[in-house]
Amino acid sequence: MTKKVNKFLLYVFLVIGAFLSFFPLYWMFVMATNPNHVINQIPPAIVPGDKLSENFSNVLNHIDFFGAMLNSLIVSSVTTIGVLFICSLAGFAFAKLHFKGRDKLFLVVLVTMMIPPQLGLIPQYFIITKLGWLNDLKAVIIPGMINAFGIFWMRQYIKEAVPDELIESAKIDGCGLFRTYWNIVVPSILPAFATLGILTFMFMWNDFLWPLTVLKDEEVYTIQIAIRTLQDAYVKDYGMILSGTFWSTLPLIVVFLVFNKLFISSLTQGAVKQ
Amino acid sequence: MRKLSLILLLSFVLILVTACSDTEANGEGSSSDKIKLDMWVFGSTGYEKLADEYMKEHPNVEIKIQSTQFDDHHNALFTALSAGSGAPDIAMIEVNNIERFRQAQDRFHNLYDLGAEEVKDDYLDWKWRLGENADGTFLYGLPTDIGPTAMFYRVDVFKEAGLPTDPESVKKLIPDWDAYAEVARIIKEKTGKPIADNYELIYNALRDQAPVQYFNNEDELIIEKEPYIKAAYDYTVDLIQKGYVGDNGLWTPEWGAAMDKGSYATLLAPAWMQGVVKGNAPNSSGKWMITGMPGGAGNWGGSYLTIPKETKHPEEAYKFIQWLVAPEQQLKSFKEMGLFPSTPSIYNDPSFKDYSDDYFGGINTAQVFAQSAQMVQTVYMGKNYKVVQAEIVNALTNVSKKSADPEKEWKAAVKRIKRQLERQ
Amino acid sequence: MVPQSKAKALNMKYSIAKRLTEKQKTSIAGYLFISPFFLLFAVFGAFPMIFSFYLAFQKWNGFGEMTFVGFQNFNFIFIDPVFWKSIYNTVIIGLLGTVPQLIAALILAVILNSVLVKMKSFFRVAYFVPNVTSIVAVAIVFTVIFNEHQSGIVNATLGLFGLSPVNWQTSEWGVKIAIATMIFWRWVGYNSIIFLAGLQSIPKELYEAAEMDGAKKWQQFLFITVPMLKPIIIFVVFTATIGSLQIFAEPLIFSGSGFREESITIVLYLWREAFSNNAFGTASATAVSLFLLIIAFSVINVLMSNRLGKTGNIRG
Repeated sequence: MTKKVNKFLLYVFLVIGAFLSFFPLYWMFVMATNPNHVINQIPPAIVPGDKLSENFSNVLNHIDFFGAMLNSLIVSSVTTIGVLFICSLAGFAFAKLHFKGRDKLFLVVLVTMMIPPQLGLIPQYFIITKLGWLNDLKAVIIPGMINAFGIFWMRQYIKEAVPDELIESAKIDGCGLFRTYWNIVVPSILPAFATLGILTFMFMWNDFLWPLTVLKDEEVYTIQIAIRTLQDAYVKDYGMILSGTFWSTLPLIVVFLVFNKLFISSLTQGAVKQ
Repeated sequence: MRKLSLILLLSFVLILVTACSDTEANGEGSSSDKIKLDMWVFGSTGYEKLADEYMKEHPNVEIKIQSTQFDDHHNALFTALSAGSGAPDIAMIEVNNIERFRQAQDRFHNLYDLGAEEVKDDYLDWKWRLGENADGTFLYGLPTDIGPTAMFYRVDVFKEAGLPTDPESVKKLIPDWDAYAEVARIIKEKTGKPIADNYELIYNALRDQAPVQYFNNEDELIIEKEPYIKAAYDYTVDLIQKGYVGDNGLWTPEWGAAMDKGSYATLLAPAWMQGVVKGNAPNSSGKWMITGMPGGAGNWGGSYLTIPKETKHPEEAYKFIQWLVAPEQQLKSFKEMGLFPSTPSIYNDPSFKDYSDDYFGGINTAQVFAQSAQMVQTVYMGKNYKVVQAEIVNALTNVSKKSADPEKEWKAAVKRIKRQLERQ
Repeated sequence: MVPQSKAKALNMKYSIAKRLTEKQKTSIAGYLFISPFFLLFAVFGAFPMIFSFYLAFQKWNGFGEMTFVGFQNFNFIFIDPVFWKSIYNTVIIGLLGTVPQLIAALILAVILNSVLVKMKSFFRVAYFVPNVTSIVAVAIVFTVIFNEHQSGIVNATLGLFGLSPVNWQTSEWGVKIAIATMIFWRWVGYNSIIFLAGLQSIPKELYEAAEMDGAKKWQQFLFITVPMLKPIIIFVVFTATIGSLQIFAEPLIFSGSGFREESITIVLYLWREAFSNNAFGTASATAVSLFLLIIAFSVINVLMSNRLGKTGNIRG
């Protein structure tokens, strides 16, 4: 009996939490279906209105919504692939290989996390212009692959999740280290891939300060830049702004579900192995 | 093998990267003999349409306009100019932000060298002055639109307080700031409502009417030497302490909602606020009217078109912007986008003069703002304008929200301002 | 999957490479594997970093000539009470926003990982949603929730309990609590995702064995989950410490660019100096000070986790 009550309480707690988490997103949808002034209602409006298509067609009139979405997709997925590869490879080296200066170099990786990034804007921009990468998605993708957090994360995870014996036995089988990485390490760290993948993808999708600085041509706008141009200098049409914002957030949830699958499938895989 | 796989993977990434950059490279290669002008603007200006018109007349010129969000636009321009590359051929800069770029005089073309002297008389003098350097030898940009201020007022609240409601009588009732304070008292007593719902706008209105503001032409802080700013502060503090002013933050939902509910009497605001009022208060048609501001007028907003030094085509860029902000085009911008013109010759154009708005009780709104546009004081703002403004508003906020001692707050604000000014 | 002939060719290659000792090979592979990061960092990260350090000793407005001023920039900020206030604010907001959040994230992760809960995917998405919700919407929603007027949602709730309304935008603790709430809301799902990945690597058998020994759920949590998760916990605490010392977005969203003293954080202070006041020298001096502060906190972190590590070993 108490177990049932406990479980019920647990669900109540979870549902309330989920509600609180979802509310602003839902509310964004409400605003995206209402005329501008509804945003001022106190208490806030909580029922969707009838301006769904009107607001969204406004968005389409102002910006190249789908083109920008495609750019964001390219930027986010290429960067994510790069980060997963670079970080897991480096994480593997830092966790399992012995070479001179390893721990010192790892410390350097950690220290790079500690530098506040906001001041780097001007010198970094300077480098991009010297490389001739202005208005090129490369300018966002390549620097985006620097991810000290990812290396730290992968090292930590590989250290725990990949037993040394497995690597040793691969060595005895005559496996090269890259093959060991590819055949042994990668399959056993899928949850870590899923996590880092989600976080990187989301970060790149939502980042705007840097893309905005180096992408000044409409053809290469990412969705975040495109959406910000919906904000007029003084007069703001929130119905339109939040409509664009809402529809640009939805793909993220799909991406999350895809990576989440990776979580689950890796779980069952583990079960099979046992 | 190990190396091979590594190279394979890396090249995969590189292919993806170059695949997406190739497409744009193709797009750019097409028309190479034309003179290409990149132009950065913020918000919706409607300049794309005008640029098309210009390109038809000048087939050798190709103009590409990029519009970005307001703050992003100015920050990106700052970064590009600071790094020394990547700036466009033409950049729009908002009037408050132009102060930030004053120290970058060497990054811009002096428009006087490109022939701007000739068109000087077409523009309002104060607007022109703000686009110059302190001694008037260097012109950063040509004026686009302006934001002359007036007094929006709620007819229903005035009626409830037993006050006259037509624009003429209201103007006569509130000719100056003493009268404004007196009306504030009456409205508070009769209706319980504040005269305005935000102290910042009152302070700004007073500041704009001062003959000098925060800095003199040598960029020295003069708010302690000259009485005007302190007087504006004191006046605002007085209204706050008497409870005549509300404390809704600008742009917050409750600020917007209050516009529709008629929970206050006046809004001291520029021409472009008409759009904000209409957007926030769709149900208040006929309840808002507009008349002249007590004591004079002010300006909030409006921009300039500048030509960064990096451009390869300064003459062509100048020719285009001179055309773009000439009176005829400004009239078009006004009709299409509501950008308030900075060229007074249009103010007598029938289509401008007779422009009326049913939402604002059918009065000739353009005329009201045109009148105040011609009354704006010519002042020098100074490159550190924003520092001072932010700290004084902070002090006012403390007085309003924390009932802090205004004298102490003023002194603390001055101290903070001075500390920040030392550093550049 | 590799065809026989190819595998043979491979073996041939390896026999040539065998002249290198095993140790040397490992070393080369190690350097090779970490080189992409360091190459990229050398190009895009190192220069900005050195530039910041250099700027800390210069006077520069972003455009003109730089002039060397020695330690003057540090002097400016060290005598500025607002700078010290920003450090204080950062630490307080960081503690308020991080400590309860990490505990909640851990508990949430355990719940979302347990076999008992159905619709896991749904809840995982739900709790991660705040991290992807647009800042614009978040800003508006939070200003409505933490409205200063009596009608504000939080204030109205306080009123029900007979408490007086709080100035959420301008009072010393009000702002901090509001911002910390926002941090909690935005990051709890994020960190629980990280914890979740850690939980996946704990062998199920441990729990099964504990179950058979009659251990209660909370006992399993304390004596299996927490110790097994210790490396991930240390990781999360470490990154969260760095993250909260660099808090920027939330106070900026909530308080706007007025940079009021109740809510200014170190990075906001830096941001104001650089991009609002054009004082890049003092901004860089602030960045350097923050960098040193983060190192100090990290060292404390390491020392504490070493201690934890020792007690953990005794238990293990």
